[in-house]
Amino acid sequence: MIELIYLTILLPLLGFVINGFFGKKIGNEKVIGLIGSSTVGISFVISLLALIETINLPVEQRTNVVELFTWMSVGSLNISFSYLVDQLSLVMALIVTGVGFLIHVYSIGYMHGDKGFYRFFAYMNLFIFAMMNLVLGDNFVVLFLGWEGVGLCSYLLIGYYYDQKFEKGTVAQAAKKAFIVNRIGDFGFLLGMFLIFETFNSLNFLEVFSQAKHLTGAESTFGFIALFLFIGATGKSAQIPLFVWLPDAMAGPTPVSALIHAATMVTAGVYMVARASIIFASAPVILAVVAVIGLLTAVFAATIGLVQTDIKKVLAYSTVSQLGYMFLAAGVGAFSAAIFHVMTHAFFKALLFLGAGSVIHSMHHQQDIMHYGGLKKYMPVTFLTFIIAAFAISGFPGLSGFFSKDEILWFSYANGNFVYWLLGALTAVLTAFYMFRLVSLTFFGEERFSHDKYHPHESPKVMTIPLIILAVLSVIGGWIGIPEVFSGEHGNVFHNWLAPIFLDAELKLAYYGAHSHTEELILMAISVSAALFSMYGAFKIYTQRREIAEKFALKFKKAYMVLLNKYYVDEFYEATVIQPIQKSSEKFLWKIADNKLIDGIVNGTAVVITSFSSVIKKMQTGVAQVYALIMMTGIAAILFWIILSL
Amino acid sequence: MINEILNSITFIYPELAVSIFLLIIVLVDLVFHKDKKYIPYISLAGLVITGILVLNQIGITHFAFVPQLSAVKKYGMMTIDPFGSYFKLLVVVTSILIIFFTIASEEVIDLKERLGEFHALIYGMILGMLVMISASDLILIYLSLELLSLSSYVLAGFLKLRERSSEASLKYVIYGSVSSGLMLFGISIIYGLTGSTNLYVINSLIQGPQINLFTLSFSSILMFVGIGYKISAAPFHFWTPDVYEGAPISITAYLSVASKAAGFALLIRFIQTGFTSFISEDGYWTLIAVFDWQALLIAISILTMTLGNFSALWQDNLKRMLAYSSIAHAGYILLGIAVLSNQGLIAVLIYFFVYMLMNIGAFYVVMLISNKTGSENIDDYDGLGAKAPFLGVALAIFLISLTGLPPTAGFIAKLYLFIALIDANMIVVAIIALLNTVVSLYYYVRVLKHMYLTKSEREQENITPSIGSLVYLLVLLIPILFFGIYFTPIVEFARSCVSLLGI
Repeated sequence: MIELIYLTILLPLLGFVINGFFGKKIGNEKVIGLIGSSTVGISFVISLLALIETINLPVEQRTNVVELFTWMSVGSLNISFSYLVDQLSLVMALIVTGVGFLIHVYSIGYMHGDKGFYRFFAYMNLFIFAMMNLVLGDNFVVLFLGWEGVGLCSYLLIGYYYDQKFEKGTVAQAAKKAFIVNRIGDFGFLLGMFLIFETFNSLNFLEVFSQAKHLTGAESTFGFIALFLFIGATGKSAQIPLFVWLPDAMAGPTPVSALIHAATMVTAGVYMVARASIIFASAPVILAVVAVIGLLTAVFAATIGLVQTDIKKVLAYSTVSQLGYMFLAAGVGAFSAAIFHVMTHAFFKALLFLGAGSVIHSMHHQQDIMHYGGLKKYMPVTFLTFIIAAFAISGFPGLSGFFSKDEILWFSYANGNFVYWLLGALTAVLTAFYMFRLVSLTFFGEERFSHDKYHPHESPKVMTIPLIILAVLSVIGGWIGIPEVFSGEHGNVFHNWLAPIFLDAELKLAYYGAHSHTEELILMAISVSAALFSMYGAFKIYTQRREIAEKFALKFKKAYMVLLNKYYVDEFYEATVIQPIQKSSEKFLWKIADNKLIDGIVNGTAVVITSFSSVIKKMQTGVAQVYALIMMTGIAAILFWIILSL
Repeated sequence: MINEILNSITFIYPELAVSIFLLIIVLVDLVFHKDKKYIPYISLAGLVITGILVLNQIGITHFAFVPQLSAVKKYGMMTIDPFGSYFKLLVVVTSILIIFFTIASEEVIDLKERLGEFHALIYGMILGMLVMISASDLILIYLSLELLSLSSYVLAGFLKLRERSSEASLKYVIYGSVSSGLMLFGISIIYGLTGSTNLYVINSLIQGPQINLFTLSFSSILMFVGIGYKISAAPFHFWTPDVYEGAPISITAYLSVASKAAGFALLIRFIQTGFTSFISEDGYWTLIAVFDWQALLIAISILTMTLGNFSALWQDNLKRMLAYSSIAHAGYILLGIAVLSNQGLIAVLIYFFVYMLMNIGAFYVVMLISNKTGSENIDDYDGLGAKAPFLGVALAIFLISLTGLPPTAGFIAKLYLFIALIDANMIVVAIIALLNTVVSLYYYVRVLKHMYLTKSEREQENITPSIGSLVYLLVLLIPILFFGIYFTPIVEFARSCVSLLGI
C-alpha cells in the first residue's frame, strides 16, 4: 500500500473535480456528500494499510519515497512530485484523513439544505488534497504547494458565507484578513526555502537533512533558515505576532473551523518545524525563540479565552493557546511530544468544535453562550461528548490530553527551565477554567433563551456518530503515548515510533539533564491538582454563583476590558500597520509614485516607441524594389563589417 | 552504386511516402473530376503514414546517398539524425493541422475545382521541407529550397481573384528569386574554393590554412541571405507582411510555422555541420575561425525581433499583426542558435513545438472570425468576448502564450531560451530580448482589450464555432496549458533529439 500512497492524494482531488464541476448538476445532497466523504474515507483506509505495512518493516526501512513524476529539471534544480512515506508523514496523513473523514460525514448533516452544498464539499475535498500534499511531499516545493493550497482553501471556506455580515465587517473581510496575514508568513517561508536551496543546492528533504546533519559551523545560516521557516509557521499556525486571523476565521461554517482551523491546517507549522527538526536543532537560538513565542502565545490566548462569550471564539483562542503548547514542545526539542499533542488535540478540539456546531445548529445559529444554559437535557449526546472533550483538553488524568500535555510540561522543565514549566502549568489552569466556564454556561444552569424563539434539540445521527467516535478517541487516543514514568523504560509507544525521525536533531541538541522520576511525579501532581481545582472552581462559579464572576469583572474592570478586547491587538495593528500603509499608499504610492512617476515613465516610453515605430513603418512601403534595395544594403553592411573585422 | 542507392532508400521512406501521395493526389484530381471532397482526406492519410515513418526514424543516425566516387571519407548527400527527425515530425504535424485548417477555411472551401492542385502544391512544399531538413549537400539544399519556394509562390497567390493575393505572389516570386540567386552565387563560390558541395567535406577543407577567408565569408553570407529570407530574418524580411496578408490565411499559418521550421533546421545544420570544429563537453560549439558567426547572429536576431515587434505595434489587421509577430518570434529563435550550444538548440526545439501550437491556434481563431465577419480588422473584434466566449478565451490564451506569460507553454519556451542565454553569459542580449517581449505584450493585449473592454458599435450575431472547430482548438489549447505547468516531457524529448550527425 505504500506505493499506492498517491491515491490518498488523488482521490480527494477526484472528489473535488466531480463535486466542483458537476456538483450543481448532480444536485442531490446524498450523492454529493457520499462522494465528498467516501474519497476521504478511502484515503484514510489506504493510509492505515500503509501504516500497517510500515510497522511490519524493520526500523531502518521505514522511510520510503514514492516518486510520481519529475515536475521540472532546470540546471541543478530538480523538482519531482514524490511523496515521503515515513513514521512522521503517516501519523499526519492518518490525522488528516481520519479526522477529515469524520468531519466530512458530520458536514452532511450540518450543511443540510445549504444552497452551496456542493461547493462546500468541493472545497473540503480540495483542502484534503492540498493538506495531503503538505504532509506527504518529499521536498520543500511540494510542501509549499500544499501550504499555499490549504491557505487558498482556508480563504475560500472562511468566506463561504461571503454575502453575510461578521462582527463589525463582513465575512469576506474576515477571509481576506486570513489570507493576507498568511501571505506575510508565506513570504518568510519562501525566503527560508530560497536560503535552503542556496545553502544545500537542493530542496529535497532527505538530501537537505542529511547534509545539514554533517554541516557544522554555519550557525548563522541555519539561524536565518530556521527563523524564516518559523515566520512561515507563525502565519499558518496562528502564533504571536500573526495569530490575529484565526479568531476571525470563525466566520466560516463550524465544520470548517473544526477541520481546518483546529485539527489539521493550523498544525502544519508544527509539522514543518518537526520535519525540519535538524535545521532547528542546528540553530539553538531560534529554537529558544520558538519555545518562547509558543509559551507566550499559549498564556496570552488562554487569558483572552477567559472572557469571550462567543462559543466559537472561546474555542478559537483555545486553539491558538494549544498551538502555542505544541511550539513550546518543539522549542525545547521535544518534537515527538509536539506531534503527539497535534494528534490528541486534533481529536478533542475537532470534537469541541463539532459539539459547538451541534449546539449552534440546534440554537438557530445563536453563538453567544450568555444565551444558552441548561442545554444538557435537550441534547444528551452532544453534552456527553462535549464534556469528555472538555475533560480531555483540561488534562484530566487518563484522558488523551493529559498524557500529551503532561509530556510537554515535563520536557519544558527538563529540557528548558522552571519558568517554562510554570507558565505552561498556568496555561493548563487557565484552559481548565475557560473550558468549564464554557461547559457550565452552555449545558448547566438556568435556561437563558426564550422557548418561543429557540427549540433546542439533539442533532441527527449523521452528526452525533462522528461526535461519539471522536469522544472515544479523545479518551483512548493518548494511551499510545503513556510516559515512561508510568510505562517503564521504552514504554512510550508513540515516542519510540517517531524516535528515528528526530534522532539526528536530538543528538545535535544533546539534552542529557539528569532528572528523576520523582521530580516528574511531583510536578505532574501539582499541575494536575491545580487544573482540577480550576475546573471545579469554574463549574461552581458559573453554575451556582455567577455573581462572583460579575463582581470580579467589575472590580478589575480595566483588566477585564483589556481581555474582552483581546489586548487591543487588532486595534494596535490597525493603527501601526494598516493605517500607515493605507495612508502612505494613497498619499505617496498612488498620487505621486504611480500617477506621476510610473505613469510618466510608461507614457514617456510609449511616446518614444511610437515615434520609433512610425519610422520603421515607413520602411514597409509595399514597393518591391525598395525591399530589394534594403536587402542589398544589409548585405553590403555585413560585408563591410567583415572587411573591418578581418 | 545501385546497392548504395537501394540501401539509402530505406532511410528516405518519409520522403518517398510524400512523393507517392503527391502523385496519388494529382491522379485522383484528374480521374475524379467532379467530386473533389475526398482529396483532403487522402492528403491527411498520406501525412499520417509519413508521420509514422518519421516516428520510426527517431533515434536513427545515418548517412544516405554516399557517392562512391569520393575518395576520402564517406559522407552522404542526406543525413538522417534525431535532430532532423524532430523537425520532420514538426513539419508533418504542422501539415496535418493545416489540412484540418483548410477544411474549415471558407477561402479554401470556395476553391472547389482547384482543391486538387491546392493539396498537390502543399505536398510539394512538404517534400521540399523534408528533403531540406536532411540535406547535407549544397546542391540538394538548393534544389529542396527551390521546390519549397516554387510551391509556396503559387499557394500564396492561390486566390487568383483577390488582388492582394496576386500582389503577394508576385512580390514573393521576385524577392524569392533574388534571394535564391544570391544563394546560388554563394554555393558556386564555395564550390570554387573547396571543390566540394558536401558540408562535411567543406568543413574539413576549410579548417586548412590555404582558404581565402574573405571569399569564404562572402560566400557564407550569401548562403545566409538565402536562408535568412526563408526564415524572414531582418533585413531580408520585407516580403513577409505583404505575402502573409495577401495569401490565404491557412497558407499564411503554414508559411509562418512549417516553412520557417525547415529554414531554421537548414540554418542550424549549415552552421553546425559546416562550421563547427568541435563541441565541448558541456555542449558549447567552437566554430572554425572564418568570421564571427555569433556576433552576426546576435545582431540579426536583435534587429529582427525589434523590427518585428515595433512594426506590429500599429497594425490594425490581425493577419498582418500576426505576420510581424512571427518575424519577432523568428528573432527570438535565432537567439537560441546564436548561443551556439546544445542548450540553445534545446531551447529552439522547445520553442518551435510551442510556437507551432500557439501560432496556428491564433491564426485559426482569426480565420473562424473572418469566416463570419469577412474581416480581419481589429475593430471587428470589439465585444467579441461576449459574442463568442469560447473563441475569445481561446484567442486570449494563444496570445498570452505568444507573449510568453505563465501558465502557458509560451512561457516555458521563452524560459528555456533565456536560461540558455544566461548560461552562456549573454545577459545583455537576454535583457534586450526581454524588453522586446514587453513591447510585444502591448499589441497582443490590445486584441484582448478590443475583445473584452470595447463595446461593439454595431449589432452582431453570436458566433458559435462548429464541433470540429471546437475540438481543433481544444487540441491546441490543452497542450499549451498542460505543458505550461508540466513541461518535463517536451524538454526531455527535445533533449533526446538535440544530436546532429557529427563528423
